[in-house]
Amino acid sequence: MSVKYIPVQWNPNKWMYDGVMLAGVALFLWIFVHLAPGMLSHERPINPQIHNARAFGACAFVMLTIILCIGPLARIDRRFLPLLYNRRHFGVMTVFVAITHAMYVINWYFAFSPTDKYVAALSTNTDYSQALGFPFELFGIFALVVLMILAATSHDFWMKFLTPPVWKSIHYLIYPAYAAVVAHIALGAMLDAQNLAFTVIAVIGGLTVAILHLWAAISETTRSDPKGTAANEGWIRVCDAGEIKEGFAKIAKLPSGDRVAVFRQDGQLSAISNACAHQNGPLGEGRVIDCLVTCPWHGFQYDVRNGQSPAPFTEKIPTYQIALDGTDVIVNPVANPPGTPVDPVPVPQEAQA
Amino acid sequence: MTTAETIMLLVRWWIIIGALVATAFLFVGIDRIDEDARGAYIFRPLLVPAILLIWPLVLWRWLILERGAENWARRYAPPRASHLIVALAMAAAIAIALWLGLTSRQSWPADIAPEQLTSPEGASE
Repeated sequence: MSVKYIPVQWNPNKWMYDGVMLAGVALFLWIFVHLAPGMLSHERPINPQIHNARAFGACAFVMLTIILCIGPLARIDRRFLPLLYNRRHFGVMTVFVAITHAMYVINWYFAFSPTDKYVAALSTNTDYSQALGFPFELFGIFALVVLMILAATSHDFWMKFLTPPVWKSIHYLIYPAYAAVVAHIALGAMLDAQNLAFTVIAVIGGLTVAILHLWAAISETTRSDPKGTAANEGWIRVCDAGEIKEGFAKIAKLPSGDRVAVFRQDGQLSAISNACAHQNGPLGEGRVIDCLVTCPWHGFQYDVRNGQSPAPFTEKIPTYQIALDGTDVIVNPVANPPGTPVDPVPVPQEAQA
Repeated sequence: MTTAETIMLLVRWWIIIGALVATAFLFVGIDRIDEDARGAYIFRPLLVPAILLIWPLVLWRWLILERGAENWARRYAPPRASHLIVALAMAAAIAIALWLGLTSRQSWPADIAPEQLTSPEGASE
């Protein structure tokens, strides 16, 4: 959450997250370079430039695989949510590792000639007609450009400036980028039949990411939030007031496709947008304490009575007019502008648990 | 000029234009369209790489915000609904890539004697 932008909003949890991540990267590179050259088919003499290129390339692939696993794991099991918290630093570090890999490759395989090394990288192999010998570098270049865009736009300013849907759409490029990384490896390093260890890592990594994302997407589709049903005068029935536990919410899809989250706090009901202003995280899965709901993804907070973040923060989300029809909770599906106060509705006596 | 040289020329011009946009946006535009950026200067260099990469998008958003034509309701339309389609496409692409790689694996031709290549005509030693 921001008042004035600063480069990085550090806190002890982020220091710890980044410390563990950096230690992991250093350990991976050390093992790759010093401990496991035989296992990785490096028994043939290679120079340090190639060895380092492979080490950073392998490290970038493993980091990207872990990053791509965190999202679906957090959707499948909430215990993985803490890993989601500072994933952007993980992503930025991965880009630096990937750029180092690319620089080692370009400064070795495409240098030492009168041709510009970047032109050489693009023009050395242009045979697109077969898998064996395909210019796999192009997949790596595409993935690297995408990763650079995602890292460069990771500051909260970009989310606010571009709007979350545009920002999210850009960041969906991570999916084709990961597929491109797998293709870069499959049609590059993996073609060496003697290199079994890295083949196993690439196959397990690629398939794990594919399966986890399919699993999360299918389970979201089947466990999808219920649709609100039509009530009087165009309003939408969300649920029975007695179904909402104290401190929690019920989420319903509106005819527009948006989701409304109806919270119960101190026996009072309030309705806000389910989409956090930060990254559209599911606010309805958060818990209310002292009228503030905390987004389970990154900890942004909003007052459920007016959709505003507590001062001095400035984030706002839309609210909805709410009423009761007997014990049915009904909302006006036309959202109020972000930050509009709405009087809470008391839970009826017969619906009190 | 080869295709590769043309691509690199376009990349250079893309970055040059991006640098011009970054200068204008970070010195003038950002203060006009985002109240949270007023008086906040240390974070601005962090925005330069993104502007170099996506400057057309920056110009488009800058124009919308300058005109006050922002549709606030669109900010809250999560694109999560398309996750299943994207996940299916990614899984298919990964499976195809791995299949192509695994069926094209080969052993290093260690039994072939090395051959001394001659340098091309006119190439300097």
